[in-house]
Amino acid sequence: MTIVLQQLFNALALGGVYALVALGLTLVYGVMRVPNFAHGGLYMLGAYLTYASLDRLGVGYVPALIIAALGVALLAALLERLIFYPLRDAPHVHPMIAAIGVLFFLEALISHPSVFGPDFKQIAEPLPGILNLGGVTLTWQRLLIIVASLLVMWGLNFFLKRTLTGATIEAMSQNREGARMVGINTNRVGMLTFAISGALAAVAAALVAPINAVTPAMGEVMNLKVFAIIILGGMGSVPGAIVGAFLLAFTEVFGGFYISLDFADLIGFTMLVIVLAIRPQGLFQRGT
Amino acid sequence: MLEVRDLSVKYGHFMALRGVNLTVQPGEIVVLLGANGAGKSTLFRTLSGLQRSSGGSATWNGTALTTGRPEFNVAHGVAQCPEGRLLFPDLSVEKNLRLGAFVHRRDASGTARELERIYELFPALVEKRGAPAGSLSGGQQQMVAIARALMARPQLLLLDEPSLGLAPLVVEQVFQAVQRVNNDGVSVLLAEQNAFAALGIAHRGYVLEGGQITLDGPQQALMTDDRVRSAYLGV
Repeated sequence: MTIVLQQLFNALALGGVYALVALGLTLVYGVMRVPNFAHGGLYMLGAYLTYASLDRLGVGYVPALIIAALGVALLAALLERLIFYPLRDAPHVHPMIAAIGVLFFLEALISHPSVFGPDFKQIAEPLPGILNLGGVTLTWQRLLIIVASLLVMWGLNFFLKRTLTGATIEAMSQNREGARMVGINTNRVGMLTFAISGALAAVAAALVAPINAVTPAMGEVMNLKVFAIIILGGMGSVPGAIVGAFLLAFTEVFGGFYISLDFADLIGFTMLVIVLAIRPQGLFQRGT
Repeated sequence: MLEVRDLSVKYGHFMALRGVNLTVQPGEIVVLLGANGAGKSTLFRTLSGLQRSSGGSATWNGTALTTGRPEFNVAHGVAQCPEGRLLFPDLSVEKNLRLGAFVHRRDASGTARELERIYELFPALVEKRGAPAGSLSGGQQQMVAIARALMARPQLLLLDEPSLGLAPLVVEQVFQAVQRVNNDGVSVLLAEQNAFAALGIAHRGYVLEGGQITLDGPQQALMTDDRVRSAYLGV
């Protein structure tokens, strides 16, 4: 029983990270109708900005997380202006290829010896030690991930559901033309959505960086997973991204635990294939 | 007053509008008759800033509407209720309405007042205020679409095919609503295929064919015009 609880906490922490990254991707897809293949690159950059803020600027963990979130948000908004906006009327393949280009560019840039180099970096846990809950041990960092990711998700939900600016994002993803017609500046909403997606990816990266190594390739792996998640949940769906994230995390953690840790990724993607075979439109896509 | 002069719109090499001239005086309901593909929606999209013009001008009280920036036109008192309604289907009715007042986002009390007025105008929407707009019946959705446009507090309402796909009784309710809106001082330009109902509430009308105005006149003259009768009234 304790071991199951143990895995449950691990799955919750992993799911929280997946959810934050997937939410940004699904928001951008909803608003721009573009699969942003550079999203994993933003996640990776978030981890490096956290590392750089801690190691080179010498600030604390929380300021480092905020610097990373703001920095990546700014860069994501810039990306929308420089790459996606000019390609808005081009065939769909063009922005996709451009996004993959951005992903490779960011990776090459970070790997360059004069920037961070190809070797992995380590970030010390801001709250070292473990918490013992009746035999279930939990690192403070995992608890921090669970609490922080839930808080961020709650904040995002509040923003989308309770503020007019948030409503413009939902409005634009439900009817772009209708949004323009009521006088919503769709360019501004597009930039804002990219900025939010960047910030979410960076926060996720900053949260998970202390328990994972920071490497230039970390974005590619995450990219694959979050695309699986939003396809699973339904492209553009916010609840779909959250449910999909936790579903993948639980499958990976429990599959890895009961079958073999070496197969954790394989089990996750097998689940994806099975769900899509049964429900090709994803779990939360409207049947249109 | 709306003044459209020699307005032309091109899609590639195709001329969707060729030198259209049209006016709407303050307080008028003007109907624009025309078959599918005559250019009605193109004219509306141009007047609301969604479509760029290639020649001529369109002004509202002297302000140019051919900006290509819908937010500018809405802020200057011209709101469109589009064909197909273009609502936000998963958002509640009230949120759709609040988004209609997006250009007045810094005036919360004005928006609250307008919302109250809208619910008086469309009492059927009060009990549906929390429901997703997409869950409403076609007629109710049309009411939401008109109400959403009114939330921008326009002086000129562009109404594109509001009766499309609605049952006759519902069409009547929609047109009564349009008349009430007009009585409150909003000028209305109404594009319709349902010529009979539209002419019933209009002061004047234009006939648009192949991107050109081919006929115009007051309500009575159009009602009794043989060409209008055979082409649009089906008598």
